[in-house]
Amino acid sequence: MSESPHGRKPSAFSRWLRTGRLPPAVSPDGLELKFNPWHDPTDGRFTFAGAGRHYGTGEADTASGASSRTSARAGATPASVGRSKSQTATRSKPETSRTRPPASDAHRAVRPMSSPVQPRGIGGGRPGNEPNPVTEFVGGVGEGLHEVGRETVAGVRAALTTNPVTTVRNTGRGIAAMIDAAIAAEDTPARIQASRAASAVADASARDLGRATATVAGNVALTAAPAAALSKAAALRRLRMARPRTTFDPPQIGWVKETTRSRKPWKAYNDAATGAQPGLAPTLMRTMADGSKRPVKFDGIQGDYVIDRKWKVVDAPRARAQLLRQSKVLAEHRLIGMWEVPTPVQKAKALELLKKMNIANIHVKVAKP
Amino acid sequence: MIAMQVANLIAEYYVFLQLTDEEELNLDTAVKMTESLADHLEEMDKGFLRELVDAFPVIGEEYSGEAREVVRNIAHSLYLEEALAADDPVKLAELEALRDARG
Repeated sequence: MSESPHGRKPSAFSRWLRTGRLPPAVSPDGLELKFNPWHDPTDGRFTFAGAGRHYGTGEADTASGASSRTSARAGATPASVGRSKSQTATRSKPETSRTRPPASDAHRAVRPMSSPVQPRGIGGGRPGNEPNPVTEFVGGVGEGLHEVGRETVAGVRAALTTNPVTTVRNTGRGIAAMIDAAIAAEDTPARIQASRAASAVADASARDLGRATATVAGNVALTAAPAAALSKAAALRRLRMARPRTTFDPPQIGWVKETTRSRKPWKAYNDAATGAQPGLAPTLMRTMADGSKRPVKFDGIQGDYVIDRKWKVVDAPRARAQLLRQSKVLAEHRLIGMWEVPTPVQKAKALELLKKMNIANIHVKVAKP
Repeated sequence: MIAMQVANLIAEYYVFLQLTDEEELNLDTAVKMTESLADHLEEMDKGFLRELVDAFPVIGEEYSGEAREVVRNIAHSLYLEEALAADDPVKLAELEALRDARG
Protein backbone atom coordinates (compact mmCIF):
# COMPACT_ATOMS: atom_id res chain seq x y z
CA MET A 1 0.00 0.00 0.00
CA SER A 2 2.88 2.25 -0.71
CA GLU A 3 1.41 3.39 -3.95
CA SER A 4 1.26 7.02 -4.63
CA PRO A 5 -2.15 8.59 -4.76
CA HIS A 6 -1.92 8.76 -8.56
CA GLY A 7 -0.90 5.18 -8.89
CA ARG A 8 -3.60 4.03 -6.54
CA LYS A 9 -6.48 5.56 -8.41
CA PRO A 10 -7.00 2.74 -10.91
CA SER A 11 -6.93 0.11 -8.23
CA ALA A 12 -9.23 2.15 -6.03
CA PHE A 13 -11.65 2.52 -8.88
CA SER A 14 -11.55 -1.16 -9.72
CA ARG A 15 -12.11 -1.96 -6.08
CA TRP A 16 -15.04 0.38 -6.01
CA LEU A 17 -16.39 -1.34 -9.08
CA ARG A 18 -16.07 -4.71 -7.44
CA THR A 19 -17.12 -3.91 -3.90
CA GLY A 20 -18.89 -0.62 -4.06
CA ARG A 21 -16.47 0.73 -1.45
CA LEU A 22 -13.38 2.77 -1.67
CA PRO A 23 -10.16 1.58 -0.03
CA PRO A 24 -9.25 3.20 3.24
CA ALA A 25 -7.60 6.53 2.79
CA VAL A 26 -4.44 7.49 4.60
CA SER A 27 -2.93 10.82 5.21
CA PRO A 28 0.67 11.56 4.13
CA ASP A 29 1.80 10.65 7.59
CA GLY A 30 0.17 7.24 7.38
CA LEU A 31 -2.89 7.96 9.42
CA GLU A 32 -6.15 6.55 8.23
CA LEU A 33 -8.74 9.09 7.38
CA LYS A 34 -12.39 8.39 7.72
CA PHE A 35 -15.44 10.39 6.87
CA ASN A 36 -18.17 10.81 9.39
CA PRO A 37 -21.32 11.84 7.57
CA TRP A 38 -23.29 12.43 10.71
CA HIS A 39 -23.65 16.02 11.83
CA ASP A 40 -25.79 17.97 14.18
CA PRO A 41 -27.68 20.35 11.88
CA THR A 42 -28.02 22.93 14.63
CA ASP A 43 -24.34 23.50 15.32
CA GLY A 44 -22.62 21.42 12.64
CA ARG A 45 -20.84 19.20 15.16
CA PHE A 46 -20.15 15.54 14.43
CA THR A 47 -22.52 13.16 16.07
CA PHE A 48 -22.67 9.45 16.63
CA ALA A 49 -24.02 7.37 13.80
CA GLY A 50 -27.76 7.36 13.82
CA ALA A 51 -27.99 10.72 15.57
CA GLY A 52 -28.31 14.09 13.89
CA ARG A 53 -28.37 14.35 10.14
CA HIS A 54 -26.58 12.19 7.62
CA TYR A 55 -24.72 14.23 5.03
CA GLY A 56 -23.08 12.78 2.09
CA THR A 57 -23.43 9.37 0.58
CA GLY A 58 -26.95 9.68 -0.72
CA GLU A 59 -28.53 7.75 2.07
CA ALA A 60 -31.14 8.92 4.49
CA ASP A 61 -30.85 12.46 5.71
CA THR A 62 -31.82 11.87 9.24
CA ALA A 63 -31.28 9.23 11.79
CA SER A 64 -34.87 8.13 11.55
CA GLY A 65 -34.58 7.60 7.83
CA ALA A 66 -31.26 5.85 7.83
CA SER A 67 -31.11 2.97 5.44
CA SER A 68 -29.82 -0.44 6.18
CA ARG A 69 -26.54 0.45 4.57
CA THR A 70 -26.18 3.43 6.84
CA SER A 71 -27.20 1.37 9.77
CA ALA A 72 -24.62 -1.21 8.85
CA ARG A 73 -21.95 1.29 9.44
CA ALA A 74 -23.68 2.95 12.27
CA GLY A 75 -21.03 1.85 14.64
CA ALA A 76 -18.08 2.86 12.52
CA THR A 77 -15.66 5.15 14.19
CA PRO A 78 -13.45 6.84 11.69
CA ALA A 79 -10.05 6.66 13.24
CA SER A 80 -10.13 3.64 15.41
CA VAL A 81 -8.92 0.91 13.10
CA GLY A 82 -5.93 0.05 11.07
CA ARG A 83 -5.67 -0.38 7.34
CA SER A 84 -5.03 -4.09 7.53
CA LYS A 85 -8.47 -4.77 8.90
CA SER A 86 -11.37 -5.26 6.69
CA GLN A 87 -14.02 -2.65 6.52
CA THR A 88 -16.37 -4.80 8.47
CA ALA A 89 -13.75 -5.23 11.06
CA THR A 90 -13.23 -1.53 11.34
CA ARG A 91 -16.70 -1.10 12.70
CA SER A 92 -16.77 -0.41 16.34
CA LYS A 93 -19.07 0.92 18.92
CA PRO A 94 -20.05 4.55 18.97
CA GLU A 95 -18.28 4.83 22.30
CA THR A 96 -15.07 5.22 20.35
CA SER A 97 -15.62 8.87 20.02
CA ARG A 98 -13.29 11.79 20.27
CA THR A 99 -13.41 11.55 24.01
CA ARG A 100 -12.17 7.99 24.11
CA PRO A 101 -9.56 7.18 21.50
CA PRO A 102 -8.53 3.53 21.41
CA ALA A 103 -5.43 2.96 23.49
CA SER A 104 -4.57 -0.36 21.86
CA ASP A 105 -3.73 1.20 18.55
CA ALA A 106 -1.83 4.14 19.85
CA HIS A 107 0.76 4.18 17.09
CA ARG A 108 -1.95 5.24 14.71
CA ALA A 109 -2.87 8.76 15.42
CA VAL A 110 -6.55 9.20 15.55
CA ARG A 111 -7.89 12.10 13.68
CA PRO A 112 -10.64 13.61 15.74
CA MET A 113 -13.42 13.38 13.18
CA SER A 114 -15.93 14.58 15.67
CA SER A 115 -14.03 17.68 16.32
CA PRO A 116 -16.08 20.81 16.47
CA VAL A 117 -13.69 22.46 14.04
CA GLN A 118 -15.05 20.26 11.25
CA PRO A 119 -18.56 21.44 10.61
CA ARG A 120 -18.64 20.73 6.88
CA GLY A 121 -19.65 17.47 5.42
CA ILE A 122 -16.73 17.56 3.06
CA GLY A 123 -13.56 18.39 4.90
CA GLY A 124 -10.61 19.81 3.11
CA GLY A 125 -8.21 17.64 5.06
CA ARG A 126 -9.42 14.24 3.75
CA PRO A 127 -8.13 14.02 0.24
CA GLY A 128 -8.06 10.26 -0.02
CA ASN A 129 -11.29 9.15 1.52
CA GLU A 130 -13.77 11.88 0.64
CA PRO A 131 -16.35 10.99 -1.96
CA ASN A 132 -15.77 12.21 -5.44
CA PRO A 133 -17.53 15.57 -5.48
CA VAL A 134 -18.49 15.27 -9.13
CA THR A 135 -19.89 11.80 -8.64
CA GLU A 136 -21.72 12.86 -5.55
CA PHE A 137 -23.13 15.90 -7.27
CA VAL A 138 -24.39 13.85 -10.19
CA GLY A 139 -25.89 11.35 -7.80
CA GLY A 140 -27.64 14.14 -5.97
CA VAL A 141 -29.01 15.50 -9.23
CA GLY A 142 -30.49 12.11 -9.95
CA GLU A 143 -32.05 11.88 -6.52
CA GLY A 144 -33.53 15.34 -6.75
CA LEU A 145 -35.01 14.75 -10.15
CA HIS A 146 -36.33 11.43 -8.99
CA GLU A 147 -38.02 12.98 -5.98
CA VAL A 148 -39.59 15.73 -8.04
CA GLY A 149 -40.86 13.34 -10.67
CA ARG A 150 -41.81 10.53 -8.36
CA GLU A 151 -45.11 11.98 -7.23
CA THR A 152 -46.10 12.99 -10.71
CA VAL A 153 -45.24 9.63 -12.16
CA ALA A 154 -47.01 7.90 -9.32
CA GLY A 155 -50.07 10.06 -9.90
CA VAL A 156 -50.20 9.31 -13.58
CA ARG A 157 -49.58 5.64 -13.04
CA ALA A 158 -52.25 5.42 -10.36
CA ALA A 159 -54.67 7.30 -12.54
CA LEU A 160 -54.13 5.09 -15.52
CA THR A 161 -53.46 1.66 -14.09
CA THR A 162 -55.24 1.39 -10.77
CA ASN A 163 -58.37 -0.06 -12.23
CA PRO A 164 -58.11 -2.31 -15.26
CA VAL A 165 -61.56 -1.15 -16.24
CA THR A 166 -60.42 2.43 -15.88
CA THR A 167 -63.27 4.57 -16.92
CA VAL A 168 -62.64 7.66 -18.92
CA ARG A 169 -64.17 9.72 -16.18
CA ASN A 170 -61.89 8.28 -13.53
CA THR A 171 -58.91 8.76 -15.77
CA GLY A 172 -59.86 12.37 -16.26
CA ARG A 173 -60.22 12.83 -12.53
CA GLY A 174 -56.86 11.23 -11.89
CA ILE A 175 -55.17 13.39 -14.46
CA ALA A 176 -56.90 16.45 -13.07
CA ALA A 177 -55.64 15.62 -9.59
CA MET A 178 -52.16 15.03 -10.94
CA ILE A 179 -52.18 18.33 -12.78
CA ASP A 180 -53.42 20.10 -9.68
CA ALA A 181 -50.58 18.60 -7.72
CA ALA A 182 -48.12 19.56 -10.38
CA ILE A 183 -49.43 23.12 -10.51
CA ALA A 184 -49.22 23.35 -6.74
CA ALA A 185 -45.73 21.91 -6.88
CA GLU A 186 -44.58 24.33 -9.48
CA ASP A 187 -45.82 27.23 -7.44
CA THR A 188 -43.90 26.49 -4.29
CA PRO A 189 -41.09 24.02 -4.41
CA ALA A 190 -38.89 25.93 -6.81
CA ARG A 191 -38.75 28.89 -4.50
CA ILE A 192 -38.74 26.92 -1.30
CA GLN A 193 -36.23 24.41 -2.51
CA ALA A 194 -33.98 27.15 -3.76
CA SER A 195 -34.06 28.85 -0.40
CA ARG A 196 -33.51 25.55 1.32
CA ALA A 197 -30.60 24.85 -0.92
CA ALA A 198 -29.19 28.30 -0.23
CA SER A 199 -29.48 27.82 3.51
CA ALA A 200 -28.11 24.33 3.40
CA VAL A 201 -25.32 24.95 0.99
CA ALA A 202 -23.05 26.02 3.81
CA ASP A 203 -22.79 22.53 5.18
CA ALA A 204 -24.02 20.51 2.25
CA SER A 205 -22.10 17.79 0.55
CA ALA A 206 -21.69 17.65 -3.17
CA ARG A 207 -24.59 15.22 -3.31
CA ASP A 208 -26.73 17.63 -1.35
CA LEU A 209 -25.87 20.39 -3.73
CA GLY A 210 -26.72 18.17 -6.65
CA ARG A 211 -30.01 17.20 -5.11
CA ALA A 212 -30.97 20.79 -4.42
CA THR A 213 -30.01 21.79 -7.92
CA ALA A 214 -31.99 18.99 -9.42
CA THR A 215 -35.00 19.76 -7.29
CA VAL A 216 -35.04 23.29 -8.60
CA ALA A 217 -34.39 22.08 -12.10
CA GLY A 218 -37.09 19.50 -11.78
CA ASN A 219 -39.62 22.04 -10.71
CA VAL A 220 -38.56 24.28 -13.52
CA ALA A 221 -39.24 21.33 -15.76
CA LEU A 222 -42.67 21.02 -14.19
CA THR A 223 -43.21 24.67 -14.96
CA ALA A 224 -42.58 23.88 -18.59
CA ALA A 225 -44.61 20.69 -18.38
CA PRO A 226 -48.11 22.19 -18.37
CA ALA A 227 -48.12 22.37 -22.14
CA ALA A 228 -47.53 18.67 -22.33
CA ALA A 229 -49.88 18.07 -19.44
CA LEU A 230 -52.60 20.13 -21.07
CA SER A 231 -52.15 18.29 -24.31
CA LYS A 232 -52.62 15.06 -22.42
CA ALA A 233 -55.67 16.46 -20.69
CA ALA A 234 -57.05 17.62 -24.03
CA ALA A 235 -56.52 14.18 -25.45
CA LEU A 236 -58.30 12.70 -22.47
CA ARG A 237 -61.11 15.17 -22.89
CA ARG A 238 -61.48 14.02 -26.46
CA LEU A 239 -61.43 10.50 -25.17
CA ARG A 240 -64.13 11.38 -22.68
CA MET A 241 -66.17 12.96 -25.46
CA ALA A 242 -65.69 9.93 -27.66
CA ARG A 243 -68.45 8.07 -25.99
CA PRO A 244 -69.35 4.59 -27.13
CA ARG A 245 -71.71 4.46 -30.02
CA THR A 246 -75.26 4.68 -28.80
CA THR A 247 -77.13 1.47 -29.18
CA PHE A 248 -80.85 1.62 -29.54
CA ASP A 249 -83.29 -0.85 -28.25
CA PRO A 250 -85.13 -2.90 -30.83
CA PRO A 251 -88.34 -1.25 -31.99
CA GLN A 252 -91.08 -1.56 -29.42
CA ILE A 253 -93.71 -3.04 -31.66
CA GLY A 254 -97.05 -3.55 -30.10
CA TRP A 255 -99.97 -5.41 -31.50
CA VAL A 256 -103.58 -4.37 -31.29
CA LYS A 257 -106.71 -6.07 -32.43
CA GLU A 258 -107.78 -5.22 -35.96
CA THR A 259 -111.54 -5.47 -36.02
CA THR A 260 -112.23 -3.95 -39.42
CA ARG A 261 -114.21 -6.30 -41.58
CA SER A 262 -114.58 -6.11 -45.34
CA ARG A 263 -114.88 -8.41 -48.32
CA LYS A 264 -113.27 -5.86 -50.59
CA PRO A 265 -109.76 -6.29 -52.00
CA TRP A 266 -108.32 -3.42 -49.95
CA LYS A 267 -108.78 -5.50 -46.78
CA ALA A 268 -106.98 -8.53 -48.18
CA TYR A 269 -104.25 -6.32 -49.53
CA ASN A 270 -103.62 -4.68 -46.14
CA ASP A 271 -103.65 -8.00 -44.33
CA ALA A 272 -101.05 -9.41 -46.72
CA ALA A 273 -98.33 -6.98 -45.64
CA THR A 274 -94.98 -8.48 -44.61
CA GLY A 275 -94.90 -9.27 -40.90
CA ALA A 276 -98.64 -8.87 -40.52
CA GLN A 277 -100.53 -11.15 -38.18
CA PRO A 278 -104.12 -12.17 -38.73
CA GLY A 279 -106.53 -10.00 -36.75
CA LEU A 280 -103.68 -7.92 -35.34
CA ALA A 281 -102.12 -4.66 -36.37
CA PRO A 282 -98.53 -3.68 -35.44
CA THR A 283 -98.33 -0.40 -33.59
CA LEU A 284 -95.70 2.05 -32.46
CA MET A 285 -96.32 4.12 -29.35
CA ARG A 286 -96.39 7.85 -29.97
CA THR A 287 -95.52 10.23 -27.13
CA MET A 288 -98.01 13.06 -26.96
CA ALA A 289 -97.20 16.62 -25.88
CA ASP A 290 -98.55 15.92 -22.40
CA GLY A 291 -96.36 12.82 -22.07
CA SER A 292 -99.13 10.33 -22.66
CA LYS A 293 -98.69 7.52 -25.16
CA ARG A 294 -100.97 6.61 -28.03
CA PRO A 295 -100.56 3.88 -30.60
CA VAL A 296 -100.01 4.45 -34.29
CA LYS A 297 -101.20 1.52 -36.34
CA PHE A 298 -99.41 0.03 -39.31
CA ASP A 299 -99.98 -3.06 -41.44
CA GLY A 300 -96.66 -4.88 -41.22
CA ILE A 301 -93.00 -4.73 -40.29
CA GLN A 302 -89.84 -5.88 -42.02
CA GLY A 303 -86.55 -5.17 -40.26
CA ASP A 304 -86.28 -1.46 -39.62
CA TYR A 305 -89.12 -0.77 -42.05
CA VAL A 306 -92.62 -0.38 -40.72
CA ILE A 307 -95.11 -1.03 -43.49
CA ASP A 308 -98.38 0.70 -44.13
CA ARG A 309 -100.27 -0.62 -47.11
CA LYS A 310 -102.59 1.73 -48.95
CA TRP A 311 -104.97 0.39 -51.51
CA LYS A 312 -105.93 3.97 -52.39
CA VAL A 313 -104.00 7.10 -51.54
CA VAL A 314 -106.21 9.96 -50.37
CA ASP A 315 -105.50 13.58 -49.57
CA ALA A 316 -108.08 13.97 -46.83
CA PRO A 317 -107.37 16.03 -43.68
CA ARG A 318 -106.93 12.96 -41.51
CA ALA A 319 -104.82 11.29 -44.14
CA ARG A 320 -102.40 14.20 -43.92
CA ALA A 321 -102.57 14.06 -40.14
CA GLN A 322 -101.79 10.37 -40.29
CA LEU A 323 -98.79 11.05 -42.47
CA LEU A 324 -97.41 13.49 -39.91
CA ARG A 325 -98.21 11.11 -37.09
CA GLN A 326 -96.44 8.23 -38.76
CA SER A 327 -93.40 10.34 -39.57
CA LYS A 328 -93.14 11.53 -35.98
CA VAL A 329 -93.48 8.12 -34.41
CA LEU A 330 -91.01 6.64 -36.88
CA ALA A 331 -88.49 9.33 -36.00
CA GLU A 332 -89.16 8.76 -32.33
CA HIS A 333 -88.32 5.07 -32.74
CA ARG A 334 -85.56 5.70 -35.29
CA LEU A 335 -87.33 3.62 -37.90
CA ILE A 336 -88.24 4.08 -41.53
CA GLY A 337 -91.73 3.88 -42.89
CA MET A 338 -92.73 2.14 -46.07
CA TRP A 339 -95.92 2.77 -47.88
CA GLU A 340 -96.78 -0.10 -50.15
CA VAL A 341 -99.26 0.69 -52.91
CA PRO A 342 -100.69 -1.61 -55.59
CA THR A 343 -100.08 0.50 -58.69
CA PRO A 344 -97.65 3.10 -60.02
CA VAL A 345 -100.54 5.58 -60.18
CA GLN A 346 -101.04 5.28 -56.45
CA LYS A 347 -97.30 5.56 -55.96
CA ALA A 348 -97.24 8.84 -57.87
CA LYS A 349 -100.03 10.15 -55.66
CA ALA A 350 -98.21 9.03 -52.54
CA LEU A 351 -94.93 10.65 -53.59
CA GLU A 352 -96.73 13.87 -54.39
CA LEU A 353 -98.37 13.89 -50.97
CA LEU A 354 -95.10 13.11 -49.16
CA LYS A 355 -93.41 15.92 -51.04
CA LYS A 356 -96.11 18.39 -50.08
CA MET A 357 -95.84 17.36 -46.44
CA ASN A 358 -92.01 17.37 -46.46
CA ILE A 359 -91.86 13.82 -45.16
CA ALA A 360 -88.48 12.15 -45.66
CA ASN A 361 -88.61 9.09 -43.45
CA ILE A 362 -91.38 7.31 -45.32
CA HIS A 363 -90.62 5.59 -48.57
CA VAL A 364 -93.06 4.34 -51.21
CA LYS A 365 -92.94 1.23 -53.30
CA VAL A 366 -95.32 -0.68 -55.46
CA ALA A 367 -96.33 -4.01 -54.00
CA LYS A 368 -98.60 -5.86 -56.34
CA PRO A 369 -101.56 -7.56 -54.67
CA MET B 1 -132.27 12.73 -57.33
CA ILE B 2 -130.84 9.42 -56.26
CA ALA B 3 -127.36 10.85 -56.65
CA MET B 4 -128.20 13.60 -54.17
CA GLN B 5 -129.44 11.04 -51.65
CA VAL B 6 -126.37 8.90 -52.10
CA ALA B 7 -124.15 11.97 -51.96
CA ASN B 8 -125.82 12.96 -48.68
CA LEU B 9 -125.14 9.53 -47.28
CA ILE B 10 -121.53 9.63 -48.38
CA ALA B 11 -121.05 13.15 -47.03
CA GLU B 12 -122.40 12.17 -43.63
CA TYR B 13 -120.13 9.16 -43.46
CA TYR B 14 -117.17 11.17 -44.67
CA VAL B 15 -117.69 13.90 -42.07
CA PHE B 16 -117.87 11.20 -39.43
CA LEU B 17 -114.55 9.77 -40.56
CA GLN B 18 -112.80 13.12 -40.71
CA LEU B 19 -114.16 14.97 -37.74
CA THR B 20 -115.08 12.46 -35.09
CA ASP B 21 -113.03 12.87 -31.96
CA GLU B 22 -110.07 10.57 -31.53
CA GLU B 23 -111.54 9.22 -28.31
CA GLU B 24 -114.47 7.80 -30.26
CA LEU B 25 -112.82 6.77 -33.48
CA ASN B 26 -109.32 5.53 -34.04
CA LEU B 27 -107.58 7.91 -36.38
CA ASP B 28 -105.80 5.23 -38.36
CA THR B 29 -109.00 3.28 -38.72
CA ALA B 30 -110.69 6.42 -39.99
CA VAL B 31 -108.03 6.85 -42.65
CA LYS B 32 -108.31 3.22 -43.58
CA MET B 33 -112.06 3.54 -44.04
CA THR B 34 -111.57 6.76 -46.00
CA GLU B 35 -109.32 4.88 -48.40
CA SER B 36 -111.94 2.18 -48.60
CA LEU B 37 -114.56 4.79 -49.40
CA ALA B 38 -112.39 6.19 -52.18
CA ASP B 39 -112.05 2.71 -53.65
CA HIS B 40 -115.81 2.21 -53.56
CA LEU B 41 -116.44 5.52 -55.28
CA GLU B 42 -113.87 4.89 -58.01
CA GLU B 43 -115.59 1.61 -58.84
CA MET B 44 -118.89 3.36 -59.47
CA ASP B 45 -120.24 4.08 -62.89
CA LYS B 46 -118.52 7.13 -64.31
CA GLY B 47 -121.77 8.91 -65.04
CA PHE B 48 -123.10 8.35 -61.56
CA LEU B 49 -119.77 9.32 -60.03
CA ARG B 50 -119.96 12.52 -62.02
CA GLU B 51 -123.33 13.28 -60.47
CA LEU B 52 -121.97 12.55 -57.03
CA VAL B 53 -118.95 14.78 -57.58
CA ASP B 54 -121.21 17.58 -58.70
CA ALA B 55 -123.53 17.02 -55.74
CA PHE B 56 -120.92 17.34 -53.00
CA PRO B 57 -120.45 21.14 -53.24
CA VAL B 58 -124.20 21.57 -53.08
CA ILE B 59 -124.57 19.29 -50.11
CA GLY B 60 -121.67 21.02 -48.39
CA GLU B 61 -123.75 24.16 -48.07
CA GLU B 62 -125.98 22.28 -45.67
CA TYR B 63 -123.05 21.95 -43.28
CA SER B 64 -121.27 24.63 -41.36
CA GLY B 65 -117.76 25.37 -40.33
CA GLU B 66 -115.10 22.74 -40.82
CA ALA B 67 -117.60 20.14 -42.00
CA ARG B 68 -118.66 22.40 -44.86
CA GLU B 69 -115.10 22.56 -46.20
CA VAL B 70 -114.68 18.84 -45.68
CA VAL B 71 -117.77 18.01 -47.77
CA ARG B 72 -116.93 20.53 -50.45
CA ASN B 73 -113.48 18.96 -50.85
CA ILE B 74 -114.57 15.31 -51.00
CA ALA B 75 -113.87 15.03 -54.72
CA HIS B 76 -110.47 16.65 -54.35
CA SER B 77 -109.47 14.64 -51.28
CA LEU B 78 -110.45 11.28 -52.76
CA TYR B 79 -109.02 11.95 -56.24
CA LEU B 80 -112.46 11.56 -57.78
CA GLU B 81 -111.83 13.99 -60.62
CA GLU B 82 -108.68 12.03 -61.52
CA ALA B 83 -110.77 8.85 -61.49
CA LEU B 84 -113.22 10.41 -63.94
CA ALA B 85 -110.36 11.60 -66.20
CA ALA B 86 -108.42 8.34 -66.04
CA ASP B 87 -108.53 7.93 -69.83
CA ASP B 88 -107.72 11.57 -70.59
CA PRO B 89 -104.05 12.36 -70.13
CA VAL B 90 -104.55 16.02 -70.94
CA LYS B 91 -107.24 16.33 -68.33
CA LEU B 92 -105.07 14.45 -65.85
CA ALA B 93 -102.17 16.84 -66.46
CA GLU B 94 -104.48 19.77 -65.98
CA LEU B 95 -105.79 18.31 -62.72
CA GLU B 96 -102.29 17.66 -61.54
CA ALA B 97 -101.31 21.25 -62.20
CA LEU B 98 -104.38 22.47 -60.32
CA ARG B 99 -103.56 20.19 -57.41
CA ASP B 100 -99.98 21.39 -57.29
CA ALA B 101 -101.15 24.99 -57.35
CA ARG B 102 -103.54 24.33 -54.52
CA GLY B 103 -100.91 22.71 -52.38
